[in-house]
Amino acid sequence: MSDVRPPADDAAPGSAAAGTAAAAPPAPGQGAEATEQRGFWAGRSNLLMPALLAAFSLFLLIGAFLLDADGTDFPGPRFFPVLLGAAGLLLAVLIALSELRSPEPAPEGADRRFRTRSDFASLGWVAGGFLAFALLLPWLGWILAGALVFWCTAHGFGSRRPLFDIVIALFLGSVIYLVFGTGLGLNLPSGILGGGF
Amino acid sequence: MEQLDLLMQGFAGALTPINLMWVVIGCLLGTAVGVLPGLGSSMAVALLLPMTFALDPTAAFILFAGVYFGGLFGDSTMAILLNTPGQASAIASTFEGHRMANDGRAPQALATAAIGAFIGGMVASVLVVFLSPTLVALSSAFGPAEFFALALFAFVATSSVVSDNVLKGLAALVLGIGITVIGVDGVSGMPRYTLGMAEMFDGISLVTVTVAVLALGEVLFVASRVRREEEDLKVRKGGGRPFLSRAEVAEAAPAWARGTAIGLPFGVIPAGGAEVPTFLAYEAERRLDRRRRVPRFGKGAIRGLAAPEAAGNATTGMAMGALLALGLPVSATAAIMLAAFRQYGLQPGPLLFENSADLVWALLASFFLAMVVLLIINLPFAQLWAKLLLIPKPHLYGGIALFCGLGIWATSGAVFDLVLLLAIAVIGFLMRRYDYPVAPLMIGMVLGPLAETSLRDALLSSVGDPRVLVSSPIAIVIYVLLAAVIALSVRTAVRRRTRRDL
Repeated sequence: MSDVRPPADDAAPGSAAAGTAAAAPPAPGQGAEATEQRGFWAGRSNLLMPALLAAFSLFLLIGAFLLDADGTDFPGPRFFPVLLGAAGLLLAVLIALSELRSPEPAPEGADRRFRTRSDFASLGWVAGGFLAFALLLPWLGWILAGALVFWCTAHGFGSRRPLFDIVIALFLGSVIYLVFGTGLGLNLPSGILGGGF
Repeated sequence: MEQLDLLMQGFAGALTPINLMWVVIGCLLGTAVGVLPGLGSSMAVALLLPMTFALDPTAAFILFAGVYFGGLFGDSTMAILLNTPGQASAIASTFEGHRMANDGRAPQALATAAIGAFIGGMVASVLVVFLSPTLVALSSAFGPAEFFALALFAFVATSSVVSDNVLKGLAALVLGIGITVIGVDGVSGMPRYTLGMAEMFDGISLVTVTVAVLALGEVLFVASRVRREEEDLKVRKGGGRPFLSRAEVAEAAPAWARGTAIGLPFGVIPAGGAEVPTFLAYEAERRLDRRRRVPRFGKGAIRGLAAPEAAGNATTGMAMGALLALGLPVSATAAIMLAAFRQYGLQPGPLLFENSADLVWALLASFFLAMVVLLIINLPFAQLWAKLLLIPKPHLYGGIALFCGLGIWATSGAVFDLVLLLAIAVIGFLMRRYDYPVAPLMIGMVLGPLAETSLRDALLSSVGDPRVLVSSPIAIVIYVLLAAVIALSVRTAVRRRTRRDL
């Protein structure tokens, strides 16, 4: 049950042209017929969570068996994770069964215009911005990296004033640097603005 | 009265200008975050948790008390004015409170809520002061078997009672407990599930998980929907007197009292915080209202707002007492506070009252101060707080994302933890997307280690005989209560199903 493929309905993060398609046709894989006749994978993205739970439970179980716990008394370090892993697998199967019986209903109202329920373009900007912030922070320094995550998030949320946002982002980053870094003594990296590598 | 002496010393510690400043800052910040739609008090505490590490413990906890209660006040302000409860515990306030606001009685509704919250919180704080020695004495009777029973109770109660779907609640719980087994095993000292990474030896920090699930996960979820939904954010305005007439006070007073009485016991029951008591208080008032000659419910009944507000804050106040005296978090927010205590190397529980008495009593005294400050800044100025809604969403959520990063960098100073934060936030997003409750994950994360070590300690002492778990009266009582909770939730589930079939 862990072989859940990305269902057609919530698939392909990058490809979702969010917000632009006014009257988007149904997903290509489903054919151009009425939306009521949906393929098996339509509305199946809810299997993602049981799959995740099953994977995590297997991680707990496999890790427990690989653990060299000789020389510990009965409820050793393996005992609890094995209990959890077994419970997790059972739950994953039960949830998957109940989700299989009831796929998500086709989107209604305003959601009909979009191919996916979630707006992956927005998500991409926010998550990608945060990832860039995390990786570049020591190098860019707090002010620039912080401004970056702020600007990307604001852009993902649909802000239409990129230049104004840059000003706010840099201002906010600097204020936090002054208050928390200089004022409260948190160790925030100065990065390239500090001139020191 | 020994407690009164100690409390007076606490006031002496809390009333220094610098600590008073932290109370006020905490109340302002908490109210601000609570007022913003979609953000509740637990997110306020989660975001501010890492910031407080620059402060000394007493100042930090005084700040927290303000944020915690301020968030509750702010939540109900928005529940009334906008019909957007920031936290599940404010939902019950929207029913009658928002109707009052629609009728042009918004100021009266806000005053009712603020006074109700004040009464509930005050009574709870007084009770905590006088009951804390009893709670401490009680907790010393707890051994591994009893603590395991208590943890199990908290797990089952939060994942079955509070969530709509028991399976999803339990799934969130398993994820939460599962995260805690990563790192060095507390009993045997053996590293587990570290994948050979040195960063994982200490396990995944509760702070990271909290900020990821409650704050950044929420940002991602809102981002995924923000351009798909048009919201109708209309603040209900109402000029006129922001105070209650004598008749209104007389009308609301019994409801305040009943709500407080309903809320208090829930503070020490680990059943996921103030959501259940607020609904119970609302239901009780509704039933009482039906017997009156002129039922008011449905038309903006002042009692329907007064009771849940009092109940919510009574529970929250008692929950702080349970946290301090027993070391037992009953809600996600209390769980974060527990994490904060641990960051300072303090372990809430009986020993805290002995070892850090000055801190505990200053904190308890600051509860009273926070209540007074909140009443002052909320009663006349609620309409001003609503102005915070003018912050555009992109900048609001950009700021929250920035603060998530700041918080985690402040605690760990490592890129690894920032990436981990993002990864767990994605899980938090998926849980929101597919309607999995996040409270069980938090409770599992906090009580997981307690459950594991107490279970293993109990079994080790009995050489593997499981009967040790039910060998004491306290443990048996807890299991009986647990059985009652399960029976009750099964009954509601069956009822709901039959009603759906009709």
